[in-house]
Amino acid sequence: MEVLMPNTLDEALRALVKNQDAVIVAGGTDLWPRIRDLEVRPERLLDISGLSGELSYIRKEGGKVRIGSMTTIAEIYESRELDGPLEVFKDVAAKFGSPQIRNAATIGGNICASLSSEDYITLLLALDASVVLKSVYGERTLRLEDFIVDKRTVNRKPYEIVTEVQFNDMTDGWRAGFEKIGRRNTLIINLVNVAVALRYNGRVEEARVALNRVNRKVPGRARAAEKALLGKEIRGDSDLEEAVEALRGELSLTSDFRASGEYRVALAEVYFKRIVKRLVGVA
Amino acid sequence: MDRIRISFRLNGVEREAFVSPEERLLDMLRDDMGMKSVKEGCGTGDCGTCTVLVNGKPVLSCIMPAFQARGKEITTLEGLNEDSAMKVIQDKFREYHAAQCGFCTPAMEIVGYKLIKESDGVPSKEEVKEGISGVLCRCTGYYDIVDALRSAAEVIKK
Repeated sequence: MEVLMPNTLDEALRALVKNQDAVIVAGGTDLWPRIRDLEVRPERLLDISGLSGELSYIRKEGGKVRIGSMTTIAEIYESRELDGPLEVFKDVAAKFGSPQIRNAATIGGNICASLSSEDYITLLLALDASVVLKSVYGERTLRLEDFIVDKRTVNRKPYEIVTEVQFNDMTDGWRAGFEKIGRRNTLIINLVNVAVALRYNGRVEEARVALNRVNRKVPGRARAAEKALLGKEIRGDSDLEEAVEALRGELSLTSDFRASGEYRVALAEVYFKRIVKRLVGVA
Repeated sequence: MDRIRISFRLNGVEREAFVSPEERLLDMLRDDMGMKSVKEGCGTGDCGTCTVLVNGKPVLSCIMPAFQARGKEITTLEGLNEDSAMKVIQDKFREYHAAQCGFCTPAMEIVGYKLIKESDGVPSKEEVKEGISGVLCRCTGYYDIVDALRSAAEVIKK
């Protein structure tokens, strides 16, 4: 195994275009256990930890929030930029891995891992986020929903590096909530996670709902549930019945040794209702 | 296999190592540098006994590639032995019988040390629990560990 260790993004992109078989390692928290287990056996690694100065940032500009791909989960947790409705990023961080993992794991690594257990994918889908990919040939921006293809598969060309995630700042009555359900808070792989973003001014004007498994083995948008929420004035559970019904039909929460599919669906419904009610201020 | 030459600071001293590409920071610290306080528990990033400070932040050395240590400041318990706050923590671990088998103790002391250093006052029970949540004690001795760390904080923060 050969390791390429660039110190700048330019260097990294030039090295990558010449070594397109290279596996990119950022915080290493996902890749390194898999290398140890011989689940992946790369010939070549591109270590981008030297780029953390360049790609670790949280900025708000022009109505957009931009998070550099090398920003660690601990940096998100401690960020002062992520305030108001954006505090939801901290709700995810607080239940992310363990404190030690938060110091190493990056948001870019989280989305590139493309698993149903990666909580930021679910949240960022609810925010309709986009991914910025750079290469020696230029830059392209892709909606996260189109970036996540399937389990461990993302829409990244072998010479591209994910440099940023971005989404519209939540103003105008937008609010977002996230819940993750596991057996304890630290180091738990979710049974279910749910993220909801609503624009609510007396009625639901826009809604985005994401869960860890919708139709595929990766997080996705629950569009039927979103549609059922539109126009609703929410005073209690009865106003959510239609949306819950729709949600039930969309989930692909299957059974495994952690929990049955039935239990997961039941949890998803409960947490979906809980988040929506919390967001509109109904007890 | 090609080895990679890296330099870094270990417990305040400039060091150099030749690491293999798949070598973990844990292996380099224990086998090449003789830092035996760093333990391998699960080896998969779950149990936290391999915790060390990298640039002052607790990370898991069993899932960090050794080559990523280049240019970094690494601190293990060996480097904190003369630290006055760490001495208090270790005295309190003895006083409270906060170690049974002792395997998680170096990691517990390191995350506890960081927590106390960064707290404004004496951390609450909940804060200590959150602070040590990434280190598993197989002997289930958490109560004594939490009490020892809070008692140490009372002395250190005085």
